[in-house]
Amino acid sequence: MAPSVPLLSATSVTKAYAGVPALSGASLVIAPGEIHALMGENGAGKSTLIKILAGVVAADTAEITVNGERVSIDSTKAAYRLGLRFIHQEFNVVSTLSVAENIFMGRRYPRRAGLLVDWKTLNRESQRALDRLGIDHIDPSQNLGELSLGDQMLVRISAALLDDAKLYVMDEPTAALTRDESERLFRVLREIRASGSSVLYVSHRLDEIMALCDKATVLRDGRSIDSGALTNITHDDLVSLMIGRKVEEAYPKATAQPRETTVFAAAGLATAGLNPVSLSLREGEVLGIAGLSGSGQAELIRAIFGDAKRTAGTMTLSGTSYAPSSPAAAWQSGVAYVPRERRAEGLVMRRPIFENITLAHLKRQSRAGTWLTPNREKRFAAELGANVRLKALGPGQDVLELSGGNQQKVVFAKAVAGNPRLLLLEEPTRGVDVGAKFDIYSIVRELTAKGAAVILVSSDLPELIGISDRIAVMRQGAITTIVDAAGLREDDLINLCYGRPTGMVA
Amino acid sequence: MQLFIRRYGTLIGFVAILVFFSAMLPGTFPTARNWLNITQQTSMLMVVAAGMTIVMVMGDFDLSVGSAASLAGIVAALMMAAGQPIWAAVSVALLVGLLGGAFNGAMVSLVGILPFIATLATMTMFSGLAFVVSGGKTISGRAIPEDFGNFARGGIPLGEWGGVAISLPNLSIIAIVVVLAVWVLLEQTTYGRRLYAIGGNMEAAHLSGIAVKRLRLIAFSLTGLAAAAGGLMYASRVASANPVQGSGLMLNAIAAVFLGTTMSRHGEPRILATVVGVIVLGVLDNGLTQMSVDSYIRQVLVGALILLAVAASSVTQGRR
Repeated sequence: MAPSVPLLSATSVTKAYAGVPALSGASLVIAPGEIHALMGENGAGKSTLIKILAGVVAADTAEITVNGERVSIDSTKAAYRLGLRFIHQEFNVVSTLSVAENIFMGRRYPRRAGLLVDWKTLNRESQRALDRLGIDHIDPSQNLGELSLGDQMLVRISAALLDDAKLYVMDEPTAALTRDESERLFRVLREIRASGSSVLYVSHRLDEIMALCDKATVLRDGRSIDSGALTNITHDDLVSLMIGRKVEEAYPKATAQPRETTVFAAAGLATAGLNPVSLSLREGEVLGIAGLSGSGQAELIRAIFGDAKRTAGTMTLSGTSYAPSSPAAAWQSGVAYVPRERRAEGLVMRRPIFENITLAHLKRQSRAGTWLTPNREKRFAAELGANVRLKALGPGQDVLELSGGNQQKVVFAKAVAGNPRLLLLEEPTRGVDVGAKFDIYSIVRELTAKGAAVILVSSDLPELIGISDRIAVMRQGAITTIVDAAGLREDDLINLCYGRPTGMVA
Repeated sequence: MQLFIRRYGTLIGFVAILVFFSAMLPGTFPTARNWLNITQQTSMLMVVAAGMTIVMVMGDFDLSVGSAASLAGIVAALMMAAGQPIWAAVSVALLVGLLGGAFNGAMVSLVGILPFIATLATMTMFSGLAFVVSGGKTISGRAIPEDFGNFARGGIPLGEWGGVAISLPNLSIIAIVVVLAVWVLLEQTTYGRRLYAIGGNMEAAHLSGIAVKRLRLIAFSLTGLAAAAGGLMYASRVASANPVQGSGLMLNAIAAVFLGTTMSRHGEPRILATVVGVIVLGVLDNGLTQMSVDSYIRQVLVGALILLAVAASSVTQGRR
């Protein structure tokens, strides 16, 4: 059989931003009816390549063909006409409009008498689009803003599936989805493949890629390093391809056991969204928090960080009473926090790295708590940056210009700058590539080796099991059980999250 | 190239304006006397705009500065008319501005009302108050002590220029001192750094342990204080006070800060950029007046210039 004409082929793609190359001769070839993974570390050029295909960014050079025909994609409209659909994390949605209106955004609304919007048909068609993903818990007439992030993502995906396109490009579609939602999405993607259309799938989650995708293209430093079927390749091979070196372990080994001294304890701690919770952490211990999204993890962290009004309970830190009235008080007491959304909650994007790092420590990083000492701050930031293996031009570079993984390292540098006694982490490696992930885990290990305690909220179960000493499972705003992480299996943890019986021997 | 236009377009435009007026008015425009005059004419706006910069660094606005300036002038004039010493009248007027600003700050940061709406409301309140306490009349003449009016006319002699004695006006000195103080506050202290962080990302600032509410309250108080100072300077300059005296200050102050933001890296307000913005507005006013351009035409030109500067800086920022 002759080699079939590729659905999409992009070769010799180059693009430089202000002289800095983002892509230098990358290529990507997608056959009809396949799910193709696009892989690479942050900064490898994945997003630039996708933006070029979407017509958002103009390539310096590129040869792009669709079904064998030479095309040029100079606008988002051109991409749309070619049958390319893009679903990415920062998709345009209007949270004050209904689900149906969002699904039909950019399309012609069904009309009555050619003038009035036919709301019935609009809602019915939207319901059909949702049905395709097996979604029955979302009402098309509901406001999009009322939905959880995961549900919003599902709405975006069903909108893209509304008309049959040739290629669906999905950038981290499962980042905000639960396991069940992800499974439903995968089923639909497989249907798409069966119908002859293709999917370009971008994700940092290797397990998903291994399970779902047929082929993969690996980008590194703006070049296509390898491309091929995912049949005879291991997880570790893929990682070494991406980072360009061998990996021994996904998680750095703990160098020391937790000590006996208690660092932090909460007794009956409760807030408006948190039922009474009791827990305690020893020096050097990592306590993972597992649970379905919205089970009270965020509320627990906010309560410990002084960002929610306590309704009951007490806390102690290093044996003394700890009752923070604000995040400022928490930082003062030696509690540091890496929030869930680094852009929205962690960083001042348009300020330099050093200002972001010292923001929480200005009292000490200044003269008399009042006068700025930028040179001293920069030296301090450069030192911390080296500790967290930050890749940047210097401490004066704006955070905006860094890749996602390096931005997260700045958030970590800020958190560890004050040698915290307790570190609160929420989804610390979301959207972070494998190399930077390992660095971040190493930072956590270094901190625990010094005797700090860590509370880690994560929806990444292998990460929870790999880093934690013990794992607390939360359900409906309360801790239901606390288990040892050593030897814990993922399925058991999932069952615990759902409150189902496990095969574990108690 | 685009970046160059974005950052330096306003400065280049400013230089072009200077060259234009110098060519058209060679005898009167490019003289030391005229320039010292400009510094005096713009001193009130300079002080109010410097205060406005503080809240705008956080991404907030204060629409009430004009009314606060009028109110402060009225309060001082009434006290002086009642025979109180100048220092007491000035202190109380400044305190009124500070408290008015603190009230704005409380509405914005403690109650959580949008600055636009909160200060729009206090703008009318302060203005109404100024009418109520003054009975709607202009306070002038013998009610105002001579020393108060003389202050604005005085200055530090700088010697002679072309046979004419020139001096640095007292009002200009106040403006310079205020600008320096705001520069130190915003650029040299942890307070200023924190304000810029709030302006960049309020949630991240809060989670980084910054007392956002308290800092916002203080910032609005300082803006109110500067507005009152501007109002007092105005009252001194015209040796009288009326309840609408400061009404032109608010729009010009915001315009000056906006003009300044076209010169900074990410479009954030900077005090020295605000100074350039104020001087641009002052020079235009001075030059066009000397060329006998009608004052309404002047308004149209100034408005168009602001649009041009801000448009140039946002258009050349490129596609998002």
